Amino acid sequence: MAPTATKGPLISASQLTKSYGSRKALDQVSFSVDSGCVVGLIGRNGAGKTSVVRAILGLIDCGGDLTVLGRNPFRARAALMMEASFIADVAVMPSWLKVRQALDFVGGVHPRFQRERAVQLIARAQISLNDRIAELSKGLRTQVHLALTMAVDAKLLVLDEPTLGLDPVVRRSFYELLVNEYLDESRTVVVTTNEVSELEYFLTHVIFLDQGRITLASDIPSLLGRYAVVEVPTDLMATARAWGPVSERQILGGSLMYFEQPETRELESLGPVRTPTVTELSVAILGMQS
Amino acid sequence: MRTFLWLIRREMWENTAIWMLPALIGAALLLAALFGDIDLASPAALSPPDQPPLGGALWLFGFGMVIFAIGWAYAAWYLLDGLYGERRDRSILFWRALPISDVKTVFSKLAIALVVIPVVSYLIANVVTVGMALAVTVRASSPNLRALLWKPQHWLELQVLWVYLIAAMGLWYFPVAGWLIAVSAWARKSVALWAVMPILVPFLIERWLLHTHAIGTLVANRFTGFLSVAFHNNADEAFSFAAVAGRTKGLTVPDRSIWELINPVGLLANTSTWIGVAVGGAFIVIAIELRHRRVEQ
Repeated sequence: MAPTATKGPLISASQLTKSYGSRKALDQVSFSVDSGCVVGLIGRNGAGKTSVVRAILGLIDCGGDLTVLGRNPFRARAALMMEASFIADVAVMPSWLKVRQALDFVGGVHPRFQRERAVQLIARAQISLNDRIAELSKGLRTQVHLALTMAVDAKLLVLDEPTLGLDPVVRRSFYELLVNEYLDESRTVVVTTNEVSELEYFLTHVIFLDQGRITLASDIPSLLGRYAVVEVPTDLMATARAWGPVSERQILGGSLMYFEQPETRELESLGPVRTPTVTELSVAILGMQS
Repeated sequence: MRTFLWLIRREMWENTAIWMLPALIGAALLLAALFGDIDLASPAALSPPDQPPLGGALWLFGFGMVIFAIGWAYAAWYLLDGLYGERRDRSILFWRALPISDVKTVFSKLAIALVVIPVVSYLIANVVTVGMALAVTVRASSPNLRALLWKPQHWLELQVLWVYLIAAMGLWYFPVAGWLIAVSAWARKSVALWAVMPILVPFLIERWLLHTHAIGTLVANRFTGFLSVAFHNNADEAFSFAAVAGRTKGLTVPDRSIWELINPVGLLANTSTWIGVAVGGAFIVIAIELRHRRVEQ
């Protein structure tokens, strides 16, 4: 096996560019992900999240330099998958597959698969090993997929809109399982979403993408320290606007204004000040729907 | 190798028709032979008492070939769906999350079509043929026929013939297999259309514009050339089902051993065999590269 004692970041991307026809899906995207981080790639549909993820997984070839776990993912996808795993979408498990066959097959081809662990997780969800994927509800399929993925002792886990199309209860149990059973300091996770609220409590870093470009990349504490949100009453709105908020949202009796570098201004004079949530910032900065 | 065997097993799980289809057809044939209202006297009548060692084997061979023909037809369909189906149902995103190279995946599908399906056909054809022979023995009155059916030599010849057929067809039709798997990696929809149109359209254009048939001849020769390349010239006559099951009374079936019919040296010495293998190899490289690059949207 190739040496994977990677010095420096687990993922390093420099000037990634990918075009589909005349549309630029990625436009000179550069970022890096260190070991142990949980990074959220956040953006609207078509912002380039899936392209970034697919580049990381070696599913697409793009311009620029990309190294994942010391390898070029496009050229060495199979080797990379020894140490990385991904869920592109929970709806992709083949419907003819039986749960037992899935365990046998992944165990057969993946040296880092811990079958006992997967069996345990599947049993906890009360899924029979003889069930076919087609017979399981979306929620249970999700559990099977997660159990298979979490039983692989991988250094990097990539999730691409993993909960798209699932109902809220299932979505919550997906992330609960992930947080309770998988995440620890040794795991590195990259997750894309346009539902920031459901994962903002366990992200360590965010990368905001818009139209194929990175608009913001930061760890969560410094991100939250960089912005403040003020509840400005109607009569102070003109004054507040003059201070140049990055974004503004109408609320009853005034407006919520988001300011960068709050320490430089006397924001308290405008109204109650607090730290915004990541969800709020994604709305404010990317114009995403909350 | 371990991964490869798991891939083969995986294909067998998904495509149970690999053995179900020939098994069901075989069972139907056997039931028909046992209980069906068929005239077993006529095939019996056409074999003159002092005749022919191979004739009897070929008579059985006819039923075995039904199983093989179904197996090959299924293999063609299987290849055409092989790399297309996983993109259609998006399960490719599940398979590609595992440490399995595209090369291994594509070769596992080729191995199913060129080795596993023919070998399954071979096993089931044997069972069916023995069953048919038993049924005929029980139901037919002619002692000649019984004697004819149970000559060990026939059975051995049949095995040689079938094993040779599997190997020779795999080699000769290798470019067709390569083409089908490449199309399945390429097409975003209508795989069957994609399999035919790139050949049919140039063929028609050539016919209309140049009034020649180079493309048609090339393709037709690949399909019809097999018998004349892989067997000696006298094979046509011996293989003709009519020669065995025909209505002509007093027809004598040539008494030849299997070794006089098969022509492995001719097959291996033929340039078109190896051109075909090279073309098939090129298609396979294309299929692997396409699976590497093509992502469902």
